[in-house]
Amino acid sequence: MSTQSVTITVDGTPIEVNPDRMLLPELLDKGFSIPHFCYQESLGSDGNCRMCMVEIAGKKRPQISCDTPIVAGMEVRTRGESIEKVRRDILELELINHPVDCPICDQAGECSLQDYYMEYGLYQGKVDKKEKHHFDKHIDLGANVLHDQERCVLCQRCVRFCRDVTHTDELCVAGRGDHSYITTIPGETLHNAYAMNVTDLCPVGALTSKDFRFQQRVWFLATSPSVCHGCAKGCAIDIDHAKSKYHDDTIYRFRPRKNPEINGEFICDAGRLSYKETQTYLLRTCLAKEEILADAEALDRMKAILTEDEYPIVVLADANLYTEELAALQAFARTFHAQLYAPLEAYHDPAFGDDWLKSSQRAANAEGVKRLGIATEMPTLNDNTLVINVNHPDGHRTANRIDLLTHRPDENTERVPARLTLPIAPWVRSSGHLINEDGIEQYCEQVLRRNDPTPTLLERLAHFLDKGDDTILDNMETAL
Amino acid sequence: MNDTVKPTRITTVPRYGDQPADKLYLPAIYAGIKVTLGHFVRNVLDITAMETLEYPEEQPTDITSRYRGLHRLTHREDGSIRCVACFMCATACPAQCINIIATERTDGIDEKMPEIFAIDTLECVFCGMCVEACPCDAIRMDTGIFSVTGKTREDFVLQRDRLLSHTGAFETEQTRNKEASHD
Repeated sequence: MSTQSVTITVDGTPIEVNPDRMLLPELLDKGFSIPHFCYQESLGSDGNCRMCMVEIAGKKRPQISCDTPIVAGMEVRTRGESIEKVRRDILELELINHPVDCPICDQAGECSLQDYYMEYGLYQGKVDKKEKHHFDKHIDLGANVLHDQERCVLCQRCVRFCRDVTHTDELCVAGRGDHSYITTIPGETLHNAYAMNVTDLCPVGALTSKDFRFQQRVWFLATSPSVCHGCAKGCAIDIDHAKSKYHDDTIYRFRPRKNPEINGEFICDAGRLSYKETQTYLLRTCLAKEEILADAEALDRMKAILTEDEYPIVVLADANLYTEELAALQAFARTFHAQLYAPLEAYHDPAFGDDWLKSSQRAANAEGVKRLGIATEMPTLNDNTLVINVNHPDGHRTANRIDLLTHRPDENTERVPARLTLPIAPWVRSSGHLINEDGIEQYCEQVLRRNDPTPTLLERLAHFLDKGDDTILDNMETAL
Repeated sequence: MNDTVKPTRITTVPRYGDQPADKLYLPAIYAGIKVTLGHFVRNVLDITAMETLEYPEEQPTDITSRYRGLHRLTHREDGSIRCVACFMCATACPAQCINIIATERTDGIDEKMPEIFAIDTLECVFCGMCVEACPCDAIRMDTGIFSVTGKTREDFVLQRDRLLSHTGAFETEQTRNKEASHD
């Protein structure tokens, strides 16, 4: 840090702070709890909600801390009777026309209004529910975002996101005074590729995701940190999933997880909705051509094919696999004298890429493939080669092959049935490291623990590998 | 333990059994037999005074409005379902016997309603926490129904329409709605 830190007194305790920042972010970083709506780390402060009031010695009235510069030696009070009265009154103002429909609101449980009411409010409401002003509810703004004008506190985080971050300017505040409401510019809908981030930014239930609407109450959700597999950018995400008595472990949504090195606090909508692919059309049974096989029988047949057939073996690896799995495939290829390829051409999608968080390289671990020294070109294949296809999108061209797949083969594509097909667990049901296109390595923990587990690729390969093979680990460590 | 905290509302019960008369046991046995014989003589003289209920021919008469019977889902004044599938009951339920799947409500009365609302009465402990938790007065246990019968396990899982068909045994919904509208 170039500037010298200064000392200020907060609630009687002297603390060291950075004078280049405003008071609120510095106090929040130091662990003080100050209610706020319009201030948001990535969007900065706007000073419209008046919720973050603190008392400053020498100032006549409470000041909004989000827009107060730090002065050396200032005395700040974040607690006390008068400041709590100010907070309670502002909260009461925000809630005058709020419909208090928490039972049907998807934000309930992670709503700032609820939290602040329980912490600072707890007043007896003076407005009869029948006298409240009504605004429009469940308006479809586009891009999977629903707007409830009654629940809005007009903090304008969404407006600022579209103005300052995506530069698409779809949202605005219309009307004046207590008739103000958030809406789209006339004739426009929300249409940018990052629009659903406004549902995370919204501190209340005014902007909610159409995709998550009524799916699950948030207090049932468990959160696991992970990494999006949508492209090589590798945005950090939190995966919200729930396992209950009546429903097996299911993912309900992806949310961005803060990682300043990669994605800040945002993810693209395509990545956010890609959770569906991890739990639909999954392959559950082993197949020989089209006939269903028991798991043990399929493994025996695979062993027989690998040891008895004379064909040269080629392994095609998916570039979305974890580094650990790729390293194990290298060991597998060594054991059976096979050639290992992870052709990257199939993952190139120029239409997907943009200049922010979307990469035209759709393989999540393309960099990991390169670091492990795995060949990335497509080999010429014919039926005199035995192909072990590990979930590669272009691996279904020849008939003489064994498939290890996460998903059921798409019936629409022209596909030669494999000699043998074995299911493997999709990425949310196993764990490992990914290296993104900028060389940043991240760990994904196992998210789902289903009652009907499918073996992971590592568990499948363990049947064929020498347990004492240390070169797997050595190789992986060099890659990482 | 903190010594400064004084236990309040705790009374010390005197212990009995140290006296020679207590150690002899005979006075206590005599007192017991006296009660039994008293009941015996009274029942022989007047058989109608017996406390035994000849269930199911005889039905209990002491079920009051506070009795927690089988659940029901209440209706709005227009007769539609009151529940908005907020999951408060399922959250409060200590037996986790309530299975709800929410869906969009399209009749314009509200936004949300349960598509599936099932109570597994084999697992329910009839504690009434669901009724306490409900913010909409949509679930109650005032049906007065105390016996559930069925031939399969599935018969005991009460589905939404069955729960809606139960009626309150102690007051009509109209009077209750009138009371609610005064709030």
